[in-house]
Amino acid sequence: MSALRWPLALVMLIGLATAANGAEVPIPPSPTQWATDTSGFLKPQTVTDLDARLRAYQAKTGHQVLVYVAPTTESTPTEDWTVRAFARWKVGRKGLDDGLILFVFPTDHKVRIEVGYGLEQTVPDAIAARIIRDAITPKLRAGQSDEAVVAGVDGILATIGGETPSQAAPAPAPEESDAAPNPLWVVLGVVLGLLVVVMVIVVVARMPRGPFIASHSSGGSGFWSLASMGAGFVGGGFSGGGGFSGGGGFSGGGGATGSW
Amino acid sequence: MNRGLIVLGGIVIVLVIVAMTVTSTYNRLVTLDQAVQSQWAQVESVYQRRADLIPNLVETVKGAANFEKSTYIAVADARSKVGQLNLPSGAPNDPAAFAKFTAAQDALSSALSHLLAVVENYPNLKASQNFADLQAQLEGTENRIAVERMRFNTAAQAFNTTRDSFPTVLVAGFFGARFNEKTYFKSQPGSETASPVKF
Repeated sequence: MSALRWPLALVMLIGLATAANGAEVPIPPSPTQWATDTSGFLKPQTVTDLDARLRAYQAKTGHQVLVYVAPTTESTPTEDWTVRAFARWKVGRKGLDDGLILFVFPTDHKVRIEVGYGLEQTVPDAIAARIIRDAITPKLRAGQSDEAVVAGVDGILATIGGETPSQAAPAPAPEESDAAPNPLWVVLGVVLGLLVVVMVIVVVARMPRGPFIASHSSGGSGFWSLASMGAGFVGGGFSGGGGFSGGGGFSGGGGATGSW
Repeated sequence: MNRGLIVLGGIVIVLVIVAMTVTSTYNRLVTLDQAVQSQWAQVESVYQRRADLIPNLVETVKGAANFEKSTYIAVADARSKVGQLNLPSGAPNDPAAFAKFTAAQDALSSALSHLLAVVENYPNLKASQNFADLQAQLEGTENRIAVERMRFNTAAQAFNTTRDSFPTVLVAGFFGARFNEKTYFKSQPGSETASPVKF
């Protein structure tokens, strides 16, 4: 009987995790373009140009570099908002985490370069800070918002480099291997299960009206629900369709923030 | 004969159910425990990253004329205490070791923020390229610490929630200290705001 509570506990856990995620300040859904401006801060032509440039950059080097302009992060600290956005949008290739986002929040007067784990060596914090300090904020202070963002992208792409072809994506990591049940236990379980079935058949054949039939069915379903548990992992999928879609990357708070 | 078989069959069925439940529970706890351990490694590595920046920082402020000696000595001392921490690998399972770790790191945090406040009085130092780079690295590292601590708490919460649910709690208890509840990072006033150190 206790075996039957298992799937229930699992469902409850998933529910809890979802509730915990929902409690935070909402992050907008993943952008569908490489350059996005939701606050009318840039000229539409600049956004289009940047988008084409960053799309081509990804096609050439594999690195997902995004520009995202939103009015404000509201009460959330900039860095907290951007690291969660990065994780939600899954920028950069899975396993390589080689994405980067240039954020601009005009209402907050904040700029942030959020660097994926895999680019932390290529774009160290000090370099990201120099790009912000030398290339971006002086132009923003002068009111040249388009030039500022373009100069920022220039600096970022020059730092990461685009001429040398990037290394091929490694074979996908053997994920969730820990979740798989120990083979020895599976074999043992199957053997024991078969033993039970054989015994029950023997018992039933000898004493057809025994109270065992009910027990048998309950034991059987318990076994199967347990056996299927190891395979109960659900992964998120992506649909491409020409626009930007995240590759499964992560960032750990690397990069730099500036204000103007 | 028949009765004996029925009893034997019943015992086997119960044993199978118990064995499968314990196995699957145990494995799931191991998976969640591994996630906590690997996140703990991330936390340690970002703290190490900060510690590695200190010697350079101390050298840089030493070079500024008449820089208040006591502030950077305090930082160097706190840094060496962090370096002396000899943590057992099971720190998240051990509240005492965990407390020792956070106490030492928090002491370094507060010595650092004091030093950075003092730097405000040295405009030449503050404007130098070397210090600006160090400042960016420190800010980035403090931000990384905040991120990895938050992710550690998330992983620890996932473990604790499963560990304390029924009937897992019975299995976890059976294995003793192996599946102790994980300790959480608590936010400390001044040292654990989500935003990095302000200069």
